[in-house]
Amino acid sequence: MTATEFALRTDGVGKRYRKGWALRDCTLALPAGGVIALVGPNGAGKTTLLRLVVGLLAPSTGTVEVLGHDVTASTPQTLSRVGFLAQDHPLYKRFTVAEMLRFGRACNLRFDQGLAERRLAKLGIPLDRRAGTLSGGQQAQVALALALAKRPDLLVLDEPVASLDPLARHEFLQVLMGAVAEGGVTVLFSSHVVHELERVCDHLVVLNHGRVTLTGDIDTLLAEHRLLVGPRTATDLDRAGAVVEAVHSDRHTTLLVRDGAIPAAPGWQAQPVALEDLVLAYLRRPSEPSAAVTSGAPA
Amino acid sequence: MTWLIWRQHRTEVCVLGLLVGMFGIALLVLGTQAHDLFPGGPARCAGEAGINEDCAASFRRLDEEYGYVENLLAGFYLVPVVIGAFLGAPLLARELEDGTWQLAWTQAVPRMRWLAAKLAALAGVTVTLTGMFTAVLTWFRQPFDAWEGRFQYDAFDLEGLVPVAYALFAFGVATAAGAILRRSLPAFGVAFGAFLAARMPVALLARPAYATPLTSMEPVGVGGSKDQAGHRPVPSFADWIIEHGYADATGRRLSWTEYYELEGAANRAGTNFNQFLHARGIQQFGVYHPADRFWTFQLIEAALFVAVAAVLIGVVVWRVRRRMV
Repeated sequence: MTATEFALRTDGVGKRYRKGWALRDCTLALPAGGVIALVGPNGAGKTTLLRLVVGLLAPSTGTVEVLGHDVTASTPQTLSRVGFLAQDHPLYKRFTVAEMLRFGRACNLRFDQGLAERRLAKLGIPLDRRAGTLSGGQQAQVALALALAKRPDLLVLDEPVASLDPLARHEFLQVLMGAVAEGGVTVLFSSHVVHELERVCDHLVVLNHGRVTLTGDIDTLLAEHRLLVGPRTATDLDRAGAVVEAVHSDRHTTLLVRDGAIPAAPGWQAQPVALEDLVLAYLRRPSEPSAAVTSGAPA
Repeated sequence: MTWLIWRQHRTEVCVLGLLVGMFGIALLVLGTQAHDLFPGGPARCAGEAGINEDCAASFRRLDEEYGYVENLLAGFYLVPVVIGAFLGAPLLARELEDGTWQLAWTQAVPRMRWLAAKLAALAGVTVTLTGMFTAVLTWFRQPFDAWEGRFQYDAFDLEGLVPVAYALFAFGVATAAGAILRRSLPAFGVAFGAFLAARMPVALLARPAYATPLTSMEPVGVGGSKDQAGHRPVPSFADWIIEHGYADATGRRLSWTEYYELEGAANRAGTNFNQFLHARGIQQFGVYHPADRFWTFQLIEAALFVAVAAVLIGVVVWRVRRRMV
């Protein structure tokens, strides 16, 4: 696999603010193509990681490589290949939509004005309205149209639907997935909602307390993990570290295990695990260094 | 980038341009009338005012009819500060407030190019507007300056180079404060406060020390200080007198208490005070900067404020380059 087949590679990336480390020892290799979800609770370091990816922040340690280029170089060529939609989709509130497009055209090497206009027309967003007077969903759509008009190879979105109502959320994701289906763009987006990820994402990165706790292709992750349900047991659950989480009820013990750790004992049943439960289990784990679980990326 | 900068800052530029324009027109109208009082030019008239009755009358009329404008303008030394702070404060702060820095710096224009273009354009507007303002004001004050000199606070702080330097100082402070505080309005306030805080010690302490002042020492004439035939009073009206008073025959400066004691003694003795002083060899001294140091002092003070502005802009550039904002 050559460097450019990775949309994103980070090596030992850390970011320290005055308050402390927001991100530590983040090593990722995310394949180009498809949709990557970055999941974690509020304050896990998602925004920091995404800002590092688009070069808005410089890492305190380590290196960030986007589409095969060191991102801190910030050349017009690398900048034009990455689209970014920041949290709360900021726009110049006093610009009209047409002026926002002119801004995009003026500040980019390639900018598909026609594409943006067609997208906005389809959504019924008038070009002469001031951006600040649009609804939240419409503002998000304008910001997305702006980012897509760059025809980026990597599109990074920070909590794109968090502030939208269900309808606007649905419309937004529809447009986004439509763009993915047209091909050529790798999408990396963050979310603290795990719900519905399975439907739209190919790849998963779980971030908790500033550390990557799980990363991998979603299908592979789901195939690797099993829920084991059996009689309540108090045995040492730490064998080989294969048990991710153990939940005990009055009579039963439910284990989330990885790598086919099938119980020898009778009376145990194996079940597939839902993505949401898998993510939650990893988020509940006490944070410890070097606990990141990496699943083989499709080679 | 040109279009973007214009679109983002046109409101400030237009408002400030309009205000400076209105101010300029008003001063041009008033100033033309004031200049018309001196058909031969105010400078020549000031030289002849002692002898030429017309000139003396012209200066009296100037004071009576336009003195209020002069007094009003004394407070206008803050205008360059407003211009600089108004243009500098939103440069980064507004982007940081609205989150649009994330939009601006993820397009294909690298952030350092973005910053350089913005700084150059807005500093340019600051210099242009302040320069126009100062040019009109300096022209308006010509007759007053001919009579009063250019070292007073209502002249030195409003004329020549220093207003532009004040404006750049405010621009630098406002930009840097905006980058650190991430808010426009507090950044504007910081720039304003910083200027007021800097100006006081500069005007009172630093400015007199830009060069070593000269000292004049003359015996008190029999007919009083104004009766020195053949001399023009030293220092002259256009010089900047920092200190003046009386000294005894050895050159030791007298305190004002000693001076009043002498006056009392003269009254008790029933003699003319000037003759009394003259007889004791009392001398008049003046510590002053001659009028021709005006441009030297302007250059020094402008350099001082521009240097601070440059350092602050350097801090802004460093922060943006290090991706600290």
